[in-house]
Amino acid sequence: MITDIRFRLPVALLLCLLVHTTLLPEIRIAGVMPDVMLLAAIAAGLEAGPSYGAVMGFASGILSDLLLPTPLGLSALVFTLVGYTVGLAKAGLLRDSPVFPVAVAFVASSAGLGLFALTGSMIGETGLVNAHLATVMLVVGITNGILVKPVLRLLRWSLAGRPPERAYAE
Amino acid sequence: MAVYRRSRRHRFLLLLLVLTSITAITLDYRDGGTGTLESLRQGARDALAPLQNVASDAFEPVGNFFGGVTRYRSLQRENARLRAELEDARGASLAEEGAERERQALLDLMRLDFASTIPAVAARVVSTSPSNFQHTVVVDRGSDKGVAVGMPVVTGAGLVGRVLEVSETRATVRLLTDRSSSVGVRLTGSGEVGIASGRGAREPLEVEFVAAGTKVAEGEAVVTSGVDGSAYPPEVPVGTVKSFSTPPGAISQEIVLEPAVDLGRLEFVKILIWGRPGR
Repeated sequence: MITDIRFRLPVALLLCLLVHTTLLPEIRIAGVMPDVMLLAAIAAGLEAGPSYGAVMGFASGILSDLLLPTPLGLSALVFTLVGYTVGLAKAGLLRDSPVFPVAVAFVASSAGLGLFALTGSMIGETGLVNAHLATVMLVVGITNGILVKPVLRLLRWSLAGRPPERAYAE
Repeated sequence: MAVYRRSRRHRFLLLLLVLTSITAITLDYRDGGTGTLESLRQGARDALAPLQNVASDAFEPVGNFFGGVTRYRSLQRENARLRAELEDARGASLAEEGAERERQALLDLMRLDFASTIPAVAARVVSTSPSNFQHTVVVDRGSDKGVAVGMPVVTGAGLVGRVLEVSETRATVRLLTDRSSSVGVRLTGSGEVGIASGRGAREPLEVEFVAAGTKVAEGEAVVTSGVDGSAYPPEVPVGTVKSFSTPPGAISQEIVLEPAVDLGRLEFVKILIWGRPGR
């Protein structure tokens, strides 16, 4: 089963990457596109807990960094923290309501983009914190909220049969 | 119901990943875009390029649908051709107007047209930036065709931007509208120079450092200044003055510039094989 995960998880990640780099840039609202790489980290945290959220966040962040002219590791740092936090939030707020993942995706995506801009500015990247940032956070939050269900389904498939997180209670 | 707890194991994993990320950021800054990490980046881009091409073709109908472009492929090709012709016509017009003063004063003997003497590599735009912060495009030419970081990128209409990163087969171009972009410009009417900066996608450019008393006209052509050390060759059309004003008490004007090139519809560009003088 572990072998299956080791195959399925990279496939899911690659699919997210291809959608993120080829399809989504064409679908912009107010010049803003959904961030499915960040959403992959959020979905992993929602589906499998903080460790998986952190690992998926790191992997999707590094892949994003490889393709963007931002410092390598910036997205990885932010997505790791977001995936981990969502995993922990799931522990404290777990609800079966279908609205719950949408609400988490909205809040975590908006916060993640804000954290990305702030962290980037702190390390010297220009043009990240400006009047447009609020629009970016809002639109990414909404669009990621719309996309969270199919991404959750993809992550559920890729993480099926995973070893359980060690530190949890039934 | 599974309830996850903050365990040492979780915290250790988080700490490990965070420290790895911070280390990568630090190394990337120290490398300055030339070291092992940059090679890794270039390798990843080149490796992903074929997959992205396939995915781009596969997703094109969906992208067109959501983008509101529901025309047949033949009609799109026809539109692309017409747009290219229009860009060329606009570029010729702007170039003539923009170069007039310098042509008469400095370049008369040389009879230079807009960037015509500079060798160029034609490239196709294969994707726009998958980012909400940077405004860049990726083109299908890289270092194997002589493209290098810093080279200016143009269309027939004028300046597009500058090569930001390059791999063997691809190059990333930072567009003029990117908030980190700035270019030295010259007003063609007065000859005054200033700095044009990006303000984000689909936003006009902002020109600073033009003295308050300088005569400016709406629709006036603005070209690259090409002053010593400039990152761009001189007389490349940048745009036209959309509006201008001088706030009370200010020593410089606020000039808004409409880019000469429609940066939202780029399909083909030319990368000028041009290095900064003295570099």
